[in-house]
Amino acid sequence: MKTLYLDYSKCIGCGTCEAVCRFVYQVPRIIMTRTSYGLHVPLYCQHCENPKCVKVCKEKAIFKDDLGIVRLNEEVCRGCKTKNCILACPYVAIICTGRDNPVAKCDMCVSRAGLGPACAAMCPCDALIIGDSRELQKNQSPAAREAHERVRKYIICPECPSPGSW
Amino acid sequence: MDFTFLCQTPPPKNGRKVAIIGAGPSGLAATGYLACMGYQVEVYDKLPKAGGLMVFGIPGHRIPGSNIEEAVKKLESDYGVDFKLCTKICGSEPMHQEAGDEYAYNYKSLGGRVQDNDAVLICTGTWKSRRLNIPGTDLTGVYSGLEFLFPVRAAQYDIARVNVPEIKGKKVAVIGAGFTAVDVIHSSMAEGAREVYHIYRRTRNEAPCGTLEIDLLEKSGAKCMELVSPVRIFGRERVEGIELARCRLTEPDESGRCSPLVCDGELFRLDVDLVVTAIGEIATPPFAHDLGLEHVRKGQVRWLHMTSMDSVFVAGDALTGPSRIGNAVYSGLKAAKSLDQWLSLKSQNRLDEYKDEIILKEDLR
Ligand SMILES: Cc1cc2nc3c(=O)[nH]c(=O)nc-3n(C[C@H](O)[C@H](O)[C@H](O)COP(=O)(O)OP(=O)(O)OC[C@H]3O[C@@H](n4cnc5c(N)ncnc54)[C@H](O)[C@@H]3O)c2cc1C
Repeated sequence: MKTLYLDYSKCIGCGTCEAVCRFVYQVPRIIMTRTSYGLHVPLYCQHCENPKCVKVCKEKAIFKDDLGIVRLNEEVCRGCKTKNCILACPYVAIICTGRDNPVAKCDMCVSRAGLGPACAAMCPCDALIIGDSRELQKNQSPAAREAHERVRKYIICPECPSPGSW
Repeated sequence: MDFTFLCQTPPPKNGRKVAIIGAGPSGLAATGYLACMGYQVEVYDKLPKAGGLMVFGIPGHRIPGSNIEEAVKKLESDYGVDFKLCTKICGSEPMHQEAGDEYAYNYKSLGGRVQDNDAVLICTGTWKSRRLNIPGTDLTGVYSGLEFLFPVRAAQYDIARVNVPEIKGKKVAVIGAGFTAVDVIHSSMAEGAREVYHIYRRTRNEAPCGTLEIDLLEKSGAKCMELVSPVRIFGRERVEGIELARCRLTEPDESGRCSPLVCDGELFRLDVDLVVTAIGEIATPPFAHDLGLEHVRKGQVRWLHMTSMDSVFVAGDALTGPSRIGNAVYSGLKAAKSLDQWLSLKSQNRLDEYKDEIILKEDLR
């Protein structure tokens, strides 16, 4: 299954991914954040194997397509008040737009007719790449694994990491 | 990096010609957009390589130079973009000196570019550095962040033209806590400095680069000094030392930032050979006045991203002030789109119909 993979050890937080996504879709579906400690963490859809957002959407507006891409059918989304999809996503990847289409999410640029994800194309550091999720996991560099672990630890407990300890 | 991410293959030419001044991320993003729309694009840069600060400011371990090189090659060979490097574009005003000028051996006028093209887009970035306002900043051995980093990086391309600061074995004081300061410290250590002092008025918790960066600097051997502010730089001709005052943070004000900062503490001296002030860059496009940039910044424009000169547009750090690559890319793309809309509507004599819509619909940055 093709996925958008981020090598945290290469990301410098320049925000090009978010900028390009914003240009293409007006509301960006990948959002660059930085922890107070200085880790760069772009938030975007991981196209989970068992997506929680799909489960909680009563209208079935969010679905997983044949390629494994988790997509939003805007026609079916009623913009319900509860916005359970936003709450359910552990990656903060469902975006509240404040516009007519109340939520947005990454669809790996399927609408760009074969051009592929714009964010990955423009990443100056090759931090964001498209590839087979299993292959990518397997071929992860030690630096990438370490950086990912650092981010994961932070997300689990923002107060915990003792800066000198890694 | 692929600047033509909006199209699969080069489209048929649309017969229009655009000149882009400045090949940084904003200029290259705009070039990609316009190339995908069928424009004939020529790109001018005073430096011998395209990429702007992505190549000449930000160290290679953050952005591999080959990424930019390949992206530029694609624009050149597949999309027929004409890169005119080592060429500085000048306006009617007297020129000021800035980092990178030593490379330009061609000078061309902005007016000429405007005549030869359907439109011009200015993406010249911010290449003039803010100076510290203390005694001794004119001594030999005092550099701004860019003055220091630029030659270190540029030396790889053409060593004869730049004066690379002598860093090996020297003691370096670096003032500031943004990414430029971080890059200066890393470069100094890579170039074999004996001692690198990092000097910041506030504490690492307030540092714009984040605490992680400061921890990493310390790990790699820099001496990080918090709550100290430079008072004067000593030396007869060359830098010999720097005097610092201890500062303290007072109660946070409403904005949450720990100001005001009071630097009335003990004065002390550090012996150093080089002082690098990395306290920010200022936008100084060579034609700020001709273009009425102040009005563009305030949003008083006739057309999104257009300057007071008809058919001349502006984008990137030159417009917004020092920023990040992402913002520069976005600004370049938006300006290119606006430029394309302007030319298309102009050719149909329908500019007036859409004027308000375009300006009101989008935020002006
Ligand atoms: C040391 C340093 C570190 C940085 N680190 C980061 C980082 O980690 N992440 C991040 O996102 N951002 C970083 N930035 C900021 C980022 O580099 C800039 O915001 C971005 O490059 C701006 O893009 P630009 O296209 O507007 O201008 P620039 O990249 O400055 O490009 C402008 C180009 O115009 C050319 N030019 C200027 N005047 C003329 C003229 N008269 N004629 C012809 N050519 C001309 C210049 O040679 C240059 O190539 C850093 C900046 C510095 C200085």
